[in-house]
Amino acid sequence: MKHKLISLLLILAVLAPLTALYGAETIKIGALYTMTGRGGQYGKDSEVAIKIALDEVNAKGLPGGAKLEVIITDDKNPQYAVSVAKRYITDEKCKFLFGIISTGIGLAVTEVSKEYKVILVGTDHAGTDLTANKFQKYYFRTSNNTFQSMMAGAYYLKDEVKNWKKIAYIGPDYAYGRDQLMELKWGLDKLGVKYEVVGEYWPKLYEPDYTSYITAIIKAAPDILVNGMWGGDTVSFIKQAKPYGLFNKMKYFHVDAGGNYEALAALGADMPEGIIMSARHHNNWPETPANKAYIQKFYKAAGRYPSYAAEGAYVGIHVIAEAIRKVGNANDTEALVKAMEGMKIQTPEDPPGFTSYIDPKTHQIVQVQAIGITVKNDKFPPAKYMLGNFKVYPADKLWPSFEYIDYMTKVKGK
Amino acid sequence: MKKLKDYLPWICYFVFFLGILLVNPGTHYIHLVARVIIFSLYAVAFNLLYGTTGLVSFGHALFYGIGAYITGMLVKATGPEYFLLFIVLGAAGAAFVSFFIGLLTLRLTGIYFTMLTLAFAQLAWGLTFKLYHFTGGDDGIQAIAKPAMLTGGVTKYYLFSFVVVAICMYILWRIRRSPFGSVLNCIRQNPQRITFLGLNVYKNQLKAFVISAFFAGVAGGLYAGLDGSIHPDMLHWPTSGNAILMATIGGMGTFFGPVIGAGILTGLEEIVGKYTEYWSFSIGVVVLIVVLLFPRGVLGIKRLAGNKNKEEKETEVVCNS
Repeated sequence: MKHKLISLLLILAVLAPLTALYGAETIKIGALYTMTGRGGQYGKDSEVAIKIALDEVNAKGLPGGAKLEVIITDDKNPQYAVSVAKRYITDEKCKFLFGIISTGIGLAVTEVSKEYKVILVGTDHAGTDLTANKFQKYYFRTSNNTFQSMMAGAYYLKDEVKNWKKIAYIGPDYAYGRDQLMELKWGLDKLGVKYEVVGEYWPKLYEPDYTSYITAIIKAAPDILVNGMWGGDTVSFIKQAKPYGLFNKMKYFHVDAGGNYEALAALGADMPEGIIMSARHHNNWPETPANKAYIQKFYKAAGRYPSYAAEGAYVGIHVIAEAIRKVGNANDTEALVKAMEGMKIQTPEDPPGFTSYIDPKTHQIVQVQAIGITVKNDKFPPAKYMLGNFKVYPADKLWPSFEYIDYMTKVKGK
Repeated sequence: MKKLKDYLPWICYFVFFLGILLVNPGTHYIHLVARVIIFSLYAVAFNLLYGTTGLVSFGHALFYGIGAYITGMLVKATGPEYFLLFIVLGAAGAAFVSFFIGLLTLRLTGIYFTMLTLAFAQLAWGLTFKLYHFTGGDDGIQAIAKPAMLTGGVTKYYLFSFVVVAICMYILWRIRRSPFGSVLNCIRQNPQRITFLGLNVYKNQLKAFVISAFFAGVAGGLYAGLDGSIHPDMLHWPTSGNAILMATIGGMGTFFGPVIGAGILTGLEEIVGKYTEYWSFSIGVVVLIVVLLFPRGVLGIKRLAGNKNKEEKETEVVCNS
């Protein structure tokens, strides 16, 4: 009898880890990214960063031996994205929705997240609405919104640029472009800066020819030209404006997406020197081991350096993993929301002594903003210019601004 | 017996779309089939122009989008209590706009008509994009509520859409089989003869254009409720192109063909889109196969041998008499 009991215990001891192995849960994350067309590079970079983050998270381990798995679908348009998001939740049993490049798609999918009470982690779209007037408790964002960029920009214009009064603005004619101007103006007013807007120019997104805008801007003769474009539009505009000498006639200021590595790489030696730019992540700032390690890993995996979209995705996966570790599982959504609110997370873009955190009230990641000017630097080929002479703006001065949220709610509605 | 044969597609239609609820494939697939139901109304409404009257409109997204935007904006402004009324108002709005666009575009024929409809639709798309504070620009409008009786589970909205679409489809079916439908058929086949018969081609085309826009508007309004969000893409040219694809794949010469086309297009997007971002390639392949091998579409396959159905024979008799 005693022998039998010992044998049984032995068998159980052998089988127990096996059952744990077979019972290990796979936690699915349903991601939506633009994978084709002009925004496709953002999706492709995010995909690489997700793989890097998954390897790190799964190597470190999750409660109960669970593994994270990410499914990515090309989001195409809001109608299709909503349908895919619903499929992720009801059919694929995804515990999280993830990603999204376009704010329009983000706004449509956040409604799905709200309806089904499934957490959506936004990693690239920057429309402030999602963490302001359109906030819902299951939405979190792991990259900065346009207000954070433009408020930092307002500080930069106030403190770093001397002898200016007149600004002109050019930006794509849709919400992303319109909001940036609204936010910069609000920021400048708030800081008591006196200025005059001498021209607003609204080309459509992906416009191929900016010549008429460039000549009109030169004629309006602003002291500073503020640009709100992103991606290929930035590249086209700069290439077309350079022969007209626009960059010698006025200061050029482009702080949400202008300094994205994608544009620096595409322009190469055509990038003018000394123009003011920023991006949501820089490959050469901060020069911390964490940022260097992240960039090297990306380069090893993809054979190229990352655009800023990648960092948002990388951080997003780590935020989800950390929340699961805190809660112990991925099934208690309410507990996961609580775990994410106020979560501190070390990200590649954090300078020494600072840790990014998720604002508990708006679910927006709060990060420092670094604005620089273009300087010769060929350490990240094919870019010939990178940003340098950075001015750094403390995170808590930029977000949350409930005064701005109230203003935005009044202007754009709930 | 003949009567039964006439109604056979209807029986299949009801059995399939109601049967799917009994099978209960899960929330996602019910939502997906609800999309097929709504798209099928859009495609059948479009086919009244394309397959029946012989007018290739490349701007039908405009009417679909107007229906969606009027419904969505009214719900946002006043609440969802009168949701059904708002869908009707959306459709009426689409019909109203189509009347003026029809007045201008129907003066032209062939490719000129097609290009002008495309131009109007793109104009409306541009306006929706630009009128940032009114339409929400490219962000669109979200959180469009449904009335309390349609919330909680997709099945309720599925049934609601099915009933509305079935009623609209029946009206369109009766229109197609009415003397007016025969006139539209004749306009496609031989417009001069219609003039010689003492009928006005332009007026009848305009009537068909307005009716078609009305039902496309109903489809748009229904879709606004299904997803709870609307956006300018609904008015963009690919949405117009989808109507042409659905009708062509399913069979533009048949009444129910576009329903099959809507199912194939939505299914391909869903199934292939799961595995690759290049899913639209599969649509290209299907369109190629259909156009090269089954030019009458999937439902037209049975008539490959040259047999004409009763409806075609009747039309031919009317047109050639």
